[in-house]
Amino acid sequence: MFLRLKNINLRPKIEYTFNMIRIHNFKSCILLIAVFFTFSFQSLAQPDGAQIFKANCTACHTIGGGRLIGPDLAGVTKKRKADWLKQWINSSSDFIASGDADAIAIYEEYNKVAMTSFYFSDEDMEALLGYLETPPVEEVKVAVATDATQDEGMKSSTKMMIVALVLLILVFLLTSIKNSLKESLGQETKTVSETVIAQTNAFLANNINKLFVGLFIMIVVLKFVFDTLMGIGVTTSYQPEQPITFSHKIHAGDNSIDCNYCHSSARSSKTSGIPSANVCMNCHTNITSGTATGTAEIQKIYDAIGYDPETRTYIEGYEQKPIEWIKVHNLPDLAYFNHSQHVTVGGLECQQCHGNMEEKTVGQVATMQELNNISFNKENGIEFEHATLTMGFCVDCHRQSEVKMDGNDYYTSMHEKMKEKYAGEKITVEKMGGLECGKCHY
Amino acid sequence: MNKLILKLALISLVVFFSSCGGDSDPGYEFMPNMYRSPSLETYGENTINGMNAQLPVEGTIARGHLLTFNYDGTLEGYLAAGNTTVNPIQDNKKTRTEGKALYGMFCEHCHGETGTGDGTIKHAIYSAVPHYNDEKLLRRAGVPMNELKPGHMFHAITYGLNAMGPHASQVTEEERWLIVNYVQQELQNSGK
Repeated sequence: MFLRLKNINLRPKIEYTFNMIRIHNFKSCILLIAVFFTFSFQSLAQPDGAQIFKANCTACHTIGGGRLIGPDLAGVTKKRKADWLKQWINSSSDFIASGDADAIAIYEEYNKVAMTSFYFSDEDMEALLGYLETPPVEEVKVAVATDATQDEGMKSSTKMMIVALVLLILVFLLTSIKNSLKESLGQETKTVSETVIAQTNAFLANNINKLFVGLFIMIVVLKFVFDTLMGIGVTTSYQPEQPITFSHKIHAGDNSIDCNYCHSSARSSKTSGIPSANVCMNCHTNITSGTATGTAEIQKIYDAIGYDPETRTYIEGYEQKPIEWIKVHNLPDLAYFNHSQHVTVGGLECQQCHGNMEEKTVGQVATMQELNNISFNKENGIEFEHATLTMGFCVDCHRQSEVKMDGNDYYTSMHEKMKEKYAGEKITVEKMGGLECGKCHY
Repeated sequence: MNKLILKLALISLVVFFSSCGGDSDPGYEFMPNMYRSPSLETYGENTINGMNAQLPVEGTIARGHLLTFNYDGTLEGYLAAGNTTVNPIQDNKKTRTEGKALYGMFCEHCHGETGTGDGTIKHAIYSAVPHYNDEKLLRRAGVPMNELKPGHMFHAITYGLNAMGPHASQVTEEERWLIVNYVQQELQNSGK
């Protein structure tokens, strides 16, 4: 009934609207086309203030985001007259030279940093000033700390715990059901432990069962001992919690910053280099809020070196404290490893030993399977058979990786001799002595 | 029924123990002294002055690190460097290749592969990175980007400029000249 009513009520309205369109069909078409053209031509002819601002000003100015190199431009059109702004933007140095007191004051306040002379056309200038007058209100994004690994963080271990708990609950539930049933029949009831003990005794009364249980326990114990011994010194998958949840994924993955940018000594030194805070500050002087964790993690850099993100200045006399990163890849002292020998001389890619760090958050010892799937390893025919960071791991690679002989003039004569000696064979690191004990143990 | 309960109890025990172990532990070490040695290791700690990562002693120069670029980080220093310095690097195929590799490591994510300022970093603050070919806007040096001198570029890498931070700790003087050479020969005024 209700539906019918609704239908009746609706129908005339719809028909009426359709009729309206039909009546004005021709007129409205023309109108629409006219409106479309006006708008499209307008958008072509009128310069976009937002675009101009983004392309020319954002390197030094924000609107409402605090001072950067230059002042915050929120409300600048109220503070200064349009003419003043135009003169300043066109050529601040000429304007300062003309002796304007305000201009000189600003120049002095911002450490005598001369602003680029822009000489915008009148239309561009108007658009820019228009944009500065009414900048779009930026939506305040609440940064949610989501970590890719935390999603999986409900790791298999937690899941297993839950399964175990459910099973245990089931045991007690079944027992209580059984007991209540027995009680209603007036039979003798048993607790869980009593049942388990009675059943085990009955099972073990059989000698063959005893033998099997004994064997089973022995195998389990031996396997446990063997695994523990084999796991000594193996740190595969080790991923300690770091003082700052630095995300390699955001930096090296999403923003494609080269590994060498931060680990700048990998090219020339034994260690790959943990970037000191000044390297972070190359970008984070200006970028004060991150995409994943907001200001929380970046603030930790500022706390370490004493930087005030509000005024964008370093706090004077601040007692700086080091960021205590936890070492992930730790070789024992009995083995010598040198990054530059592998990165610069050998020409290896970082991923060949460290895996896809650009897809992970904090540092982790890559697993053997992951390394075997790295394209650089596949292309070079390197397949690891031993756990990462063990001696077998190093030996695997030294046996399989081919020496790059092109473009190394220093060893020309030596390389010629080797090519002669191992004619037709693949010249691996092993062939040039890469497996001699003294190369790594001395 | 009793057997079922026994089985369930056993399975839950097995499952419970298999849930142990995680990735936040490095595991057992054979002779921990070898892993955490009493000798001073890079980035380790010491009892004398805290951390092993220290600045060079004042007044000393590390071998191969004699600074030849003696301009300070002010505007005057910037202008003077642009007017007086010449790039000591000889321009040839080898130095260009080296410069290109370094440019890829240290500059490309902001300045872009071809120097047009369209790097992979898309943060708003780094959206106004100038084009090396720009001939319109007068920069701090008083000339547009396409007329910047080697000294200007070297000074900018060393001390930073606007939103760009100082990179002196990451690239040596020689490497900076290699980058400047590559930028000038291949990117600045490219297409002309």
